[in-house]
Amino acid sequence: MDFELTEDQETIRKSVAGLLRDFDDQYWMEKDQAHEFPTEFYETVAGGGWLGITIPEEYGGHGLGITEASLLLEEVARSGGGMNAASAIHLSIFGMHPVVVHGSEELKRRTLPRIATGDLHVCFGVTEPGAGLDTASITTYARRDGDHYVVNGRKVWISKAMESEKILLLTRTSKADEVTKRTDGMTLFLTDIDRDRIDIRPIPKMGRNAVTSNELFIDDLRIPVEDRVGEEGQGFRYLLDGLNPERMLIAAEALGIGRASLDKAVQYGKERIVFGRPIGMNQAIQFPLADSLARLDAAELVLRKATWLYDNGRPCGREANTAKYLCADAGFTAADRAVQTHGGMGYSEEYAVARYFREARLMRIAPISQEMILNYLGSHTLGLPRSY
Amino acid sequence: MDREEFVLVRDMVRSLATRHGVTSADEVKPSTRAAAQQALDELDLAELRRTSPPAATAQECALLAEEHGRRPLTTSLLGTVLLAPELLRLLGASTSPAIPTIAFTRELRFPGRTPTDLVAWDSEGADSALCVTTDGTVSRVELGPSAPSTDLVRTVRAVPSDAPVEVVGQLAADDQLRWQAYALVVVTAELVGAAGSFVEQAVQYARDRRQYGQAIGSFQAVQHLLADATVLVEACTSVTRYAAWCLDNEPPERALAAARVAKAEVNSSALEAVYAGMQVFGGIAQTWEHIAHLYLRKVRLGSTLLATTAELLPALAVPEVTR
Ligand SMILES: Cc1cc2nc3c(=O)[nH]c(=O)nc-3n(C[C@H](O)[C@H](O)[C@H](O)COP(=O)(O)OP(=O)(O)OC[C@H]3O[C@@H](n4cnc5c(N)ncnc54)[C@H](O)[C@@H]3O)c2cc1C
Repeated sequence: MDFELTEDQETIRKSVAGLLRDFDDQYWMEKDQAHEFPTEFYETVAGGGWLGITIPEEYGGHGLGITEASLLLEEVARSGGGMNAASAIHLSIFGMHPVVVHGSEELKRRTLPRIATGDLHVCFGVTEPGAGLDTASITTYARRDGDHYVVNGRKVWISKAMESEKILLLTRTSKADEVTKRTDGMTLFLTDIDRDRIDIRPIPKMGRNAVTSNELFIDDLRIPVEDRVGEEGQGFRYLLDGLNPERMLIAAEALGIGRASLDKAVQYGKERIVFGRPIGMNQAIQFPLADSLARLDAAELVLRKATWLYDNGRPCGREANTAKYLCADAGFTAADRAVQTHGGMGYSEEYAVARYFREARLMRIAPISQEMILNYLGSHTLGLPRSY
Repeated sequence: MDREEFVLVRDMVRSLATRHGVTSADEVKPSTRAAAQQALDELDLAELRRTSPPAATAQECALLAEEHGRRPLTTSLLGTVLLAPELLRLLGASTSPAIPTIAFTRELRFPGRTPTDLVAWDSEGADSALCVTTDGTVSRVELGPSAPSTDLVRTVRAVPSDAPVEVVGQLAADDQLRWQAYALVVVTAELVGAAGSFVEQAVQYARDRRQYGQAIGSFQAVQHLLADATVLVEACTSVTRYAAWCLDNEPPERALAAARVAKAEVNSSALEAVYAGMQVFGGIAQTWEHIAHLYLRKVRLGSTLLATTAELLPALAVPEVTR
């Protein structure tokens, strides 16, 4: 057994932390408050060559594994940028996986190198008003029309759609009642966001405001057949391929935000003097923080195991789901306790911990909720009957 | 008050909440604040406990605070109607046209030895604030510009450090304990109302929202989340109502101990209940328009208001007589 990161992995961690040092709390607070995309941050990460970390070398990337990608995103969140930072680049890091594996050579040549340089911004369009966790109930419909598809429907929550040139869009090409399995009949596209055909409306949110999440009203969008990823009707299956690594990356982001929160709480616990001694001297303050350290460390170990399994081509569903579950919880709890440690005045928006707190909740719900993780572990890992 | 009279008063607060309760953060504007506050002023509730003996019991006041918490309201029922008038009553001060609220420290604690580093808490419609220092001196301080707060509906104003401080009176030692106990119970009761109402709304959402072809409330995970949250709210309600009963029926030390127990319980349980409710709402609870974050903000901040559980437990751990 080896718990050591490789030298290269350690280098990733240090370089990313070094690269992002200048993006401080002030920067993120301003971006969050102004609802402004963190362009300087994005360009710095792109300039460092990090966006193509998992994209194959032949398409301009580094072809590295999920372990490296998770270290990158963890460090990005931990730098203090939290989910604003992570979401600004999340899709570039691994979101193109279905295209890498199932896309045509032409589509890959056309898009992947531009993702790696940072020139091409993409978003991911799955969720609909009636289809949250239950993806198979999407109704956005793509009708074949010669060498095009014509798409109509409505998407919701699509992060970064406002800032993106393209969308990885999940549609139905057969209605749910026309197929034997509900997960059949879905088709994936990587296509231009034609603003004449897609009305994009940002959803005002309580947090993570530097990156938009949007409602999309799609009205007769024409998509050329070349933009289809793989075969018609197989879209859902293509997404499934990427689910485990996706969970690991979300876990890494949650872990990073948890670490950032804990750092702030510890610092405050040392500095803040009440009744002649630092508040961190009280067990009532100290123990919850120590407990959070233990939880974050334990969650991190499962995450490392999960990414190792994936990179070594082993089955990793159990570990990927467990990592997401534990990291989301440990990250949120750490953020909650950081707020608690800062007390009445701490929860003023000027403090970074308030920002982390608003963001850390997200990972308990999106992209998959804690309950659905337990559904997975219960039925797939433990073999209990599916409950829904 | 007899029962009918109390129900009448409670219904007035309820209908105020129906008419002026905020349903989305963007509705919180100076004009809507002013209209809501005027509606509260018209109810003329500040006199509830000014008669001798007081017309309303402390328990009834706590129930009104609870009712007020059930919807996000910008009105200062707690500050200008319940807390400041109670302080004046304990002082035996004669009624005056002034509308004070209460001053806490900037960390939202009871003030220390001197009236410094203060904010006027819950100051909508108030023209001054009353501050009780540790020796029982009650002073009136002036209000400065509004201070940013995470609780978007509650108005908080700075107290200028160079403004004059006018001594209003001196609380007897027992009355100071009574005052602290009353203040703890009133703020706690509002949090109970908020958590209870939010969980009820989450239950309704679980009935309506469908995924995988069924109401999400039919999944045990969701059911149990809400059942646990309901148990937490029940615990909060009981412990707070008992503390309120103590205010009317027990010596002040006992009442303060009960108030501290209530605050310690509600700090953690009401917050857990709100977290559970938010989980049930899924992604929609992250939106700015949705009411969830207004409850979250109130209860998250409320659980550090006046005393955190971490601060209360050591106080509760020492024998009651020496507390
Ligand atoms: C900030 C943000 C950004 C997002 N970005 C994107 C994006 O870029 N692209 C995109 O496609 N989507 C995005 N989403 C959507 C996200 O993936 C969904 O919010 C998520 O899938 C949950 O769906 P829902 O909100 O509809 O919750 P629902 O599916 O309605 O779930 C509500 C509650 O019911 C529970 N529940 C549901 N089914 C079951 C069951 N079978 N058993 C037990 N419990 C159950 C859930 O756990 C949850 O607590 C984003 C969401 C947010 C909040």
